[in-house]
Order: sequence, then C-alpha cells, then structure tokens
Amino acid sequence: MDEKIKQALIEIVGKENYTDSLIDMVSFSYDASEHSHRPACAVWPSDADQVAKILRLANSEKIPVIPRGAGTGLSGMAVPIKGGIILDLSHMNRIVKISIEDRLAVVKPGVVYVDLEKALEPFGFFFPPDPASGKVSTLGGNVATNAGGLKGAKYGTTRDYVLGLQVVLPDGRIMRTGSKAMKSVSGYDLTRLFVGSEGTLGVVTEITLKINPKPTATSTALATFDSLADAGNAINQIMHSGIIPSALEILGRETLAAINENTDLNLPEVDAMLLAETDGYTREETDYQIKKVIQVFEENNAREVKQARTDKEVEDLWAARKSAYAVLARIKTHFVLEDVTVPMTHIAELLKGVEEISRRHDIQIATFGHAGDGNLHPQILYDGYDQEQVRRMEAASADLFKLAIDLDGTLTGEHGIGLAKAPYMTLEHDPVAMDVMRHVKKMFDPNNILNPGKMGLEE
Amino acid sequence: MESKYEFEEKYREQILKCSRCGFCQAVCPVYGATLRPALNARGKMLLLKEVMDGKIGLDDQLIETLFQCTTCANCFHNCPSGVDVPEIIKAVRQDMVRAGSCHPAFEGMNEVLEKHTNIYAEDEPEDFERVRNRKAEYVYFIGCVGSYREDEPTMAALDLLDRLKVDYTLIDEVCCSGVLEDVGFSIKEHLAEKNMALILETGAGTVITGCPYCFRTFNDKLQYSRLREAGVKVVHITQFLQDFGFGVKTDKRVTYHDPCDLGRHCGIYEEPRNTIRKIATDFVEMPDNRENALCCGAGGGVRGAYAKNSIAMARRRLEQVEEVGAEIVLTECNSCVHNLANAKLRRQKFRVYSTTEFINELMEEAE
Amino acid sequence: MEIEGYNMPDDLYYEENHFWVKEEGDLLIMGMDDFAQALAGEIVYVQLPDDGKRLKLGKKFAKIESGKWLGKVYAPVNGELVGVNEELETNPGLINDDCYGKGWMYKIRPDDKGELENLMKGREAVEKWLLAEIEKYAEE
Repeated sequence: MDEKIKQALIEIVGKENYTDSLIDMVSFSYDASEHSHRPACAVWPSDADQVAKILRLANSEKIPVIPRGAGTGLSGMAVPIKGGIILDLSHMNRIVKISIEDRLAVVKPGVVYVDLEKALEPFGFFFPPDPASGKVSTLGGNVATNAGGLKGAKYGTTRDYVLGLQVVLPDGRIMRTGSKAMKSVSGYDLTRLFVGSEGTLGVVTEITLKINPKPTATSTALATFDSLADAGNAINQIMHSGIIPSALEILGRETLAAINENTDLNLPEVDAMLLAETDGYTREETDYQIKKVIQVFEENNAREVKQARTDKEVEDLWAARKSAYAVLARIKTHFVLEDVTVPMTHIAELLKGVEEISRRHDIQIATFGHAGDGNLHPQILYDGYDQEQVRRMEAASADLFKLAIDLDGTLTGEHGIGLAKAPYMTLEHDPVAMDVMRHVKKMFDPNNILNPGKMGLEE
Repeated sequence: MESKYEFEEKYREQILKCSRCGFCQAVCPVYGATLRPALNARGKMLLLKEVMDGKIGLDDQLIETLFQCTTCANCFHNCPSGVDVPEIIKAVRQDMVRAGSCHPAFEGMNEVLEKHTNIYAEDEPEDFERVRNRKAEYVYFIGCVGSYREDEPTMAALDLLDRLKVDYTLIDEVCCSGVLEDVGFSIKEHLAEKNMALILETGAGTVITGCPYCFRTFNDKLQYSRLREAGVKVVHITQFLQDFGFGVKTDKRVTYHDPCDLGRHCGIYEEPRNTIRKIATDFVEMPDNRENALCCGAGGGVRGAYAKNSIAMARRRLEQVEEVGAEIVLTECNSCVHNLANAKLRRQKFRVYSTTEFINELMEEAE
Repeated sequence: MEIEGYNMPDDLYYEENHFWVKEEGDLLIMGMDDFAQALAGEIVYVQLPDDGKRLKLGKKFAKIESGKWLGKVYAPVNGELVGVNEELETNPGLINDDCYGKGWMYKIRPDDKGELENLMKGREAVEKWLLAEIEKYAEE
C-alpha cells in the first residue's frame, strides 16, 4: 500500500486498527469459497464516520474497498479480487437497541447472528432466518447476501425482516433507508435494493430488524426414502397438506455418510432423508401439524418414519444438518457448494437432474438442502490438485446452472453471485435487466471502487 | 510423501480438509479477544496451506499467529471437518524452531530449563513450611505455577491434605518440562530423570498433582515411562479428593471453570463437580461448560508470550461468571487461577479460588 | 535528577524496593521508580486491593507482574489504602510509559507522616543507593 494512503488510513482508524502484515493479508484473502486474492491492507473501523472517511479517501484515490463480516460467504463476495482495502466490520458489534413493543432490534453490522438470538431469548423473541452459519456469521453479512436458512419456507429470508438501514455510499455520503414503522411505502424501497447487493452499492453501518415472537413448541420428524424421486414428490406434496412446516430439509446419501463419520448419530444411509420441523405454541398444535407431514411422507413410500422424542435428539439432528457442508469437506480436498433454487413443482426433476449430471461428468455430487423452499445445495466434491477433475467440476457446475434455469429457477437462492456464479448471470437475466443492473451500479459507484469484480456486472 | 516439513508429512491431508467454514471463529478464545482472523484456527490453516503450496515461507512473519494458540482444542472440538488444529500447531512449531523461527519467550524458556529447575528461572521456591523428600505413601507434585506464582493456593492445598491426614511428601521437584514439547522444543531428559528419581526414592505408590499439565505429562509422555513402568500412579487432586468428606458447606453461589488441560484434553469433568457439590448447595454452571468450556487464555505458553491478549481472554471468561451471578468461581489448575485472578476487575466482587483453597478456607473458618 | 540514564526526580521519597512516595495534602501517592520499571520489562498485571485495606510498614500488600518477573509491593509506611489508579486495570503498561505521572499506583492515608523520614530522599542518598543497585543487578 502506498505510504501516503497508509498514513491517511492510520489517521482515520488508529495504528492498532490498520494492518498490512503478511498473516493478516493471507487470512483476508479468503472467505469460505474456493476463491482467493491478496488485498493490499485491512482496516477495522469503529463507526460510520470512519467508514465514510475511508470510502471518501478510496473513492478519490480509486482504490478498491471490500466490506467484510465474518468471511463465511460461499461465493467469494468478500474476496478482494482486485486487491485494495479490506473493511473488516467486526469491531462494530454492538446491539444498539431492542424494542419489544415496536417489534424491532437495531444492530451494528458486526453483531454475530447468534449473539442477537441470545439477546432476544429472554424476551421470547427471535430473528427467524437462522442461517446454518449463524454461530459465526454477522448480521451485516446476512444483509449483504440476503441470507436464508433453515426456516426459509415458513418465515422467509433476511430481506423480509429489514425495516431500515444506515448506509455509507461509495463517495462517503451517509444515508438512511426505510422506517422504524412496521411498514412503509414512502419513496423508493432503497432498503430492498441494498439487501442482497453483496456490498457493491454501499456499506451497511446499522440495521433495523423486525423481530418475531418465538414459538415455544416444536415437533421434529424424519423419514427415509429409497428413491430421490419419492422424496421429491413428498416435498412437493407438503404444500397440499394444509400446513407449512417451519423447516423441511433434505439429506442425500453421501451427506448422511459424512455426517455419520462426524457424529454418533448413526443415521440410516439411504438415498434420501427428509427432516421436518413444525412449530407453534402448544405441543398439540405442533403434533397436529407434524402428523400431516408424516402422512405425506407415508403416502410417498417412505421406508421409515420417526418422530424425535427428546430435546437432545432434536438438537443433535439439527446440529448435524447445519454442519453438512463442512463435514462433506472430509471426502475430497476441494468442493464447490451450489444453492440452485427452483419452484416446488420442479424439485423432483432437479433432484433427478443432479444425479444425472453427476453420472454424466463422472464427478461426486452430494446433495442436501432446504427442500421446503425449493433450495437445493448440491456440493461437488473433487481433488483440486487434479486438473482433469477441476475441468469436470466446472462442466458439471455449468450444467447444474443451466438445469436450474431451464426449470424456471435461479442460480442462487441465498449464497449470492459473488465470483463463483458471475459467469452465469446472463443465463438467468435478460440483456435489459443486465443493462439496468450495470447502470444502477454505476450510479452508486461511478469509480467502481466498492467490491469491484463481483456479480458479473463488469463487461 | 517427501516434504521439507514434518508437519506437512504428518498432517497435509488434515490441513487440506479445512473447508474454511469458519465455525472455529465462534469458539476460539484468541479470536474472541482480538477479532483478528489471522489468529484464529482457520487463519492458521490458510497460512499453512499457502506454506505447503510454496506461496509463502515458514518464517518469522508467522510467529505472531503460529505461536499464539492456547491449544485449548475448542476449534477441533467444533470442527465439522475434524481438523486437529492444536496437534498441527505443535508439529508446525517444531518445524519452525528447526528453521530458526521461534517466539523469544519460548526460546528463552528452553534455555532457562537447561540451567534452572523451573520456567521462571527462580532460584528458591517457597518452602511451604514442609519437609521434602521423606518416605511417604503419596508424593504431592506442585508444578511451576503453583510453586512460584500461586503460593497461596498451594499452601492451602497442602493444609487441606494435612487436615485429611494424607501421608504425603513434597520433593525437590523440578519443572516437568512438558510444555516445551508443545512450543517447538523437547522435554528435558535431565529434568524428567530428576523428578522420577526423587519420586521413586520416596517409595510412594501414587503422585498427586494440582497441575493438569504435569498430570498429562507424567501420564502420557515417553520420558516418564519409567515411572509408569514402576507401577506409580499419577492422579489429579480432584480425582483424589472425590472420596473424602469435608464436613463443611457454603451457601454462596458457586460455579466451576473447566481447565482445558483437565477437561477437553483429559475428559475429567465430573470428579471436580462431585467434590464441589459436597460443599456447595448453590452450584451453577456457566453457559460454556465441560467440553464447551471457554479457555481462560493462559495455556500453550500464551500467558508468557502474549500476556495482554491472555488476560483479555480471561476477562471474557469472567463475563460468564458474572452472567450466572456466581460469588465464587472454582477451578483446579493454577494457571487458570492465576490468569483469572489477574483478569478480574476491581468492580467484580466474586472471588477466584482453586477448589482445594476454597475447601481449606471453609474448614479453617469452621474451626 | 538523572542517574546513569535513569530518571529519579529529586522531590520524591524512595523505598528500597524501588517504589517512590510523594505527599499530596494529607495523603501519600506511591508508584514504581524508573529503574525498576526498566528492569521488569512490560508490566502486565498490577494487583489493586480494595480501599480500606490496612497497610503495615514493611509488609507486602500487593503483587505486580511483568512477562518475566513477579514482584511484591511493600508498604512504605503504616496506614490505610484509600485509592488506587484504576487505569492500571486495563492499561498496566502506564507504569512503563510514565511511572511518575499517569502510572501512579496507590493512594495511602498514613498514620504518621513522620515515617517518611525512614525513606531515602535527596541527591546524595538516592544516588548512592541507586548506583549500588545498578551494580548489584548487573552482576546477576
């Protein structure tokens, strides 16, 4: 980093909050994806004013700035692909206010998801999205990727809960979006533009979230299937059961085997397992709902259906599901985790299609995911040091995206485009939409300094 | 496979299994206190991957992270990919020392233990008002921290053993030197020989120790196999005290901090609690307990090499003591006592004790 | 005054374990001297006992630690501890940075200010003592 810029940054954040030492540069080169690139330096700002000063400086010197939370993104959003300054927001980790009467929580972007959960628990409230990375990921990151999670089918995603934001624009101006009122349609919905924008339009420095009372009872059931097609049909039919489960997850054969290696759960290793949860305020209510789900399972040739009986059983099952992708990492040296999402009517076809792609390219693909909202997580496992396998992985990825689009789906349900899916944007978005997106980016960031090189927007 | 680094030969596959999920960030005490990704397990694995790929060298620049790890194993315990980070770190440190890159505090420790009997280079321990090296059923092995930094808990432990009429003796002990193996060096054979000779001279059938680290060293390390072959048992004081009744109680709210070296590393969780429940009617658990206990920050040499961060880690643990409203926090590792006591803020009114010290105080008051 | 590179202000009383004392109204302020802080290295912990603690002349009442050294703080007079420098709780390094100013340690209410006469003061006495100390530690 240029000495003059370095001194300017140190003046803004203080010496202890600036680094360009090797060990920091290496760790900031990565997120949870396979992409990496060295930044020039990193800073830890402590408030919006410091963020504004940093962006103003970077904008005038044309230096890339990459906002970062916990760095657990799966598509390379936080990877500094064009070098530049990492803006690590983890020091901005205060929960500013919780107002139960107004049904909202105001937080700084560096607050870890699970810390907000802990703070809301004594009030009997929660912030629903529940991403699998919740123990580590920050709310700023959740907003940047519109994080989904296990409760998506019933409760929606992060975007459904963001009432307002404080954002610093690439030129250093600070603005507020949204309202503390529970609903507002005043002016353009700028909040929605920023949520899921992957840190390319502005840096979020404060978030106002809507929170829900937390249902106190849950029922959990699992079912095994000898064929993916049966599981797919079961998922589809749940919508006809009259209830929406609070979670409906699918686990494929490889995933089950990998989980067994990591835990003592001894899950049956079958072609597909469905894990369902229903929630409510009384045991009768949740059991009534789960029985409907169980009925659908049975009507679709489930081999075995079981309701979890103890708290520990339930805890273990969901912990196992949340660790699925990392557990699968034990199998090969590298992996790519996709999150293609399709309308529910096409989920059975998607499952079948994934199997076919795996056979066609002779590459291992493990499956699991949020069946409840059509969001599958096919994980391609390969030896990254073998060029042949890398080639096959890339071909399989491309086919996977084409399949999802052909089935009226989307490239990414919740992980974002980042770097990983950038080459496929035009598969999903028509030329007019792409043009509009590029213009929006240019309007916010004419010098293209904020997280450049992402989302396939550069031509 | 041929590699210039031993850590690569032993652990390459494991290091590659790190999927960069970052789940370790949730439990790493160093990350929790500093919020610096380079210091967390994932950061360390990323560095090692680049070393293995030849992109960077294993040199001085890596000291700050590779020698700053308490080896608490909370990361390993929570790693879905099963990467044993502490074992990998210990192996890397050996390679780094061979390559000439080591934290000065540990180089210093290695030199000190060549010439001195303890890690602090102190010449004289407290005599604890007791004869050493006599014939007895038990040897009480104090450990360096207990001898030179936390003499009050040690004195209390000895007073307690006297009250319980245990036939024990102290010895002219020297550092077990187990810590050296974890920071890139090796156990000092001459120190191990001295300890074993003194222990065997006493004719004792069992060694009781208050230091979980010495406990592990005597039980696991090759250099102490002669002791085990001679049939001498080594127990930690919490295991020893389980069978005693003390006849005293407190109604103060008490909590227990699991030392990493006793808990996650040895699986000893219930014995200390059994003992505490005998004397405390209001016992509460901190949110992160047993295998999930949050490290106090002293281990792996971090208190010596990175004291400020070490105390910051202890401070984080003490927030949980406050959270559960405990008036007394007990633990049975002098390093934990030392770090937690140092980190306690003046406005925090709870007290930090070793379990033995607390029981002894209760018995003293009852007299 | 400066003695062999160590800063030892003339107007302070010095206790043989390298703590300085100065009067502030009815009370005494106590801290560590430049020679000791340099010898100890970076201070990482200072024990700050509760106010009201009884101090007995010559008896240890607190601990202080650097990376390589554990030291004892001895009471320079009989009296009562009435205050501590709370900054040292989170920033013990102040003792290294500014041992006579921001790094002050304890506030004492002495039973008898006359006991100050037992301590060293003035160029002659302090210089003699410090030079001997410098030699003593150089040998170790």
